[in-house]
Amino acid sequence: MISLPHFLAIGAILFGLGLIGFLSRRNFITMFLCAELMLQGVVLNLLAFGRYHGSLHGQAFGLFIITVAACEAGLAMALFLVLYKRGKSLDSGDWQAVREAGVSATLETEALPAYVPDESPTLPVAGRIPEQPEVTVQEPFRA
Amino acid sequence: MPPILANPLTQLALAVVLGALGVALLLPKPRVRSVAGGTFLLVAAFGILGTFLVLRFGQPMLMRDGTNSALGSVIFWVFALGSVLFGVQVVVQRNPARGAIAFAFVILSTCGLFLLLAAPFLMAATIVVYAGAIIVTFLFVLMLSNVRGPSDENDRTREPLLGSLAGFGFIGLLLFALHQGTAPSNDGFDSELPSVVVSNADRTAIEVAYGHVEAALAIEDAAAMQQHADEAQQALAVLLESSPSISSNDPGAKVQAERIASLKPLLRKLSDASLENKPEALRESLVSLRESLSLLRGVAELPARNVANLGYLLYSEYLLAVEMAGTLLLVATIGAVAIAARRKEATA
Repeated sequence: MISLPHFLAIGAILFGLGLIGFLSRRNFITMFLCAELMLQGVVLNLLAFGRYHGSLHGQAFGLFIITVAACEAGLAMALFLVLYKRGKSLDSGDWQAVREAGVSATLETEALPAYVPDESPTLPVAGRIPEQPEVTVQEPFRA
Repeated sequence: MPPILANPLTQLALAVVLGALGVALLLPKPRVRSVAGGTFLLVAAFGILGTFLVLRFGQPMLMRDGTNSALGSVIFWVFALGSVLFGVQVVVQRNPARGAIAFAFVILSTCGLFLLLAAPFLMAATIVVYAGAIIVTFLFVLMLSNVRGPSDENDRTREPLLGSLAGFGFIGLLLFALHQGTAPSNDGFDSELPSVVVSNADRTAIEVAYGHVEAALAIEDAAAMQQHADEAQQALAVLLESSPSISSNDPGAKVQAERIASLKPLLRKLSDASLENKPEALRESLVSLRESLSLLRGVAELPARNVANLGYLLYSEYLLAVEMAGTLLLVATIGAVAIAARRKEATA
């Protein structure tokens, strides 16, 4: 015997966490993963209610949600590839030039921390220290 | 516990505030980011939420007689905690590749919860589709992008405090609705999922009756149809006698008894129709009887023959939806290829 509200609560928490990530993260891929997190919460709700009513309709709905999520993943990856080719980054902030009229641009005031490359691994005596590639720290975006 | 903390509304509000502050601290930012403080606040928030759930709704898994099933509860809490903690990791990880791995663990944890909900096929499908395909596809895109060092997209967050307040406020509202929506006198019927209690004799009776109803609907001849209807009635009469009483204490048995009792008016309609000798009315009542019987068959086999029954449901009731889902997949594939394969035009 299983209690329904516990599963609904876990579904709600997953949905809320996904909401936070989708609203505030800037990497396209993280945003997409957060949207999938929200879908997981929804599927959990559907399955719990299906079990509650003792029927398989909830599971059928869950299967369709997975189908739609797979379509979404394929299309999203294609879009991210195109956006990456154009902007050379996965930052959604780079595309704020297409914001609505009357909305002010987001300006970054704080500098990013300096990049400290990892130390190269310890090599045996006969080894040669590999060349470290040139590091370019990205400038903050200005609209 | 002080009395003010025992109030469920106080617990919810406290958990929302602590959780929002915790996630806001943990989200990647150039300056104010405190991993230890954020973790502490989040642990406190989820601890309070767990206390709220246990105090308000009891333990998640119960034995037939209403006592707590320790092993079942432990399994539920392990999977629930795993999905929530890795979910936080997906949101706050700086490195998106680590976020993707954390998301794979969220999928594995929710798949454990799917198994607890008697959905083994969906569990396998989710693991294959998400952990197998989607995560790998996104790791592939991440490898292409190859970001080194701090960058705008990974180390900056848009409105961390407002965003996490929105998310946790939403969680708080949903849990508040759950709190208000379930009856405060927890007599164990409204909030618990029915366990499936169908004896083998019941299952055989339902199968026999279903077979006769199907056979009766398949033939045109009125007399033969009448004969099959009579045999179905006999089989169901045995089932109605042996079914548990509705006043039983086990919620699962109660639900099953109510389901079986809901056959009674249908049977009465059927016998009326056969007495009055009207083939049309007989056929009509047989069709409605077949619907309830197929539901009962599905219930009897919910945990055991999950794949077979899910397939039956998909290719009977959801046939149009299955076709549309297939079309959607095809269209999405064509669209993805059309979008991603454009090379010359994209640079022009």
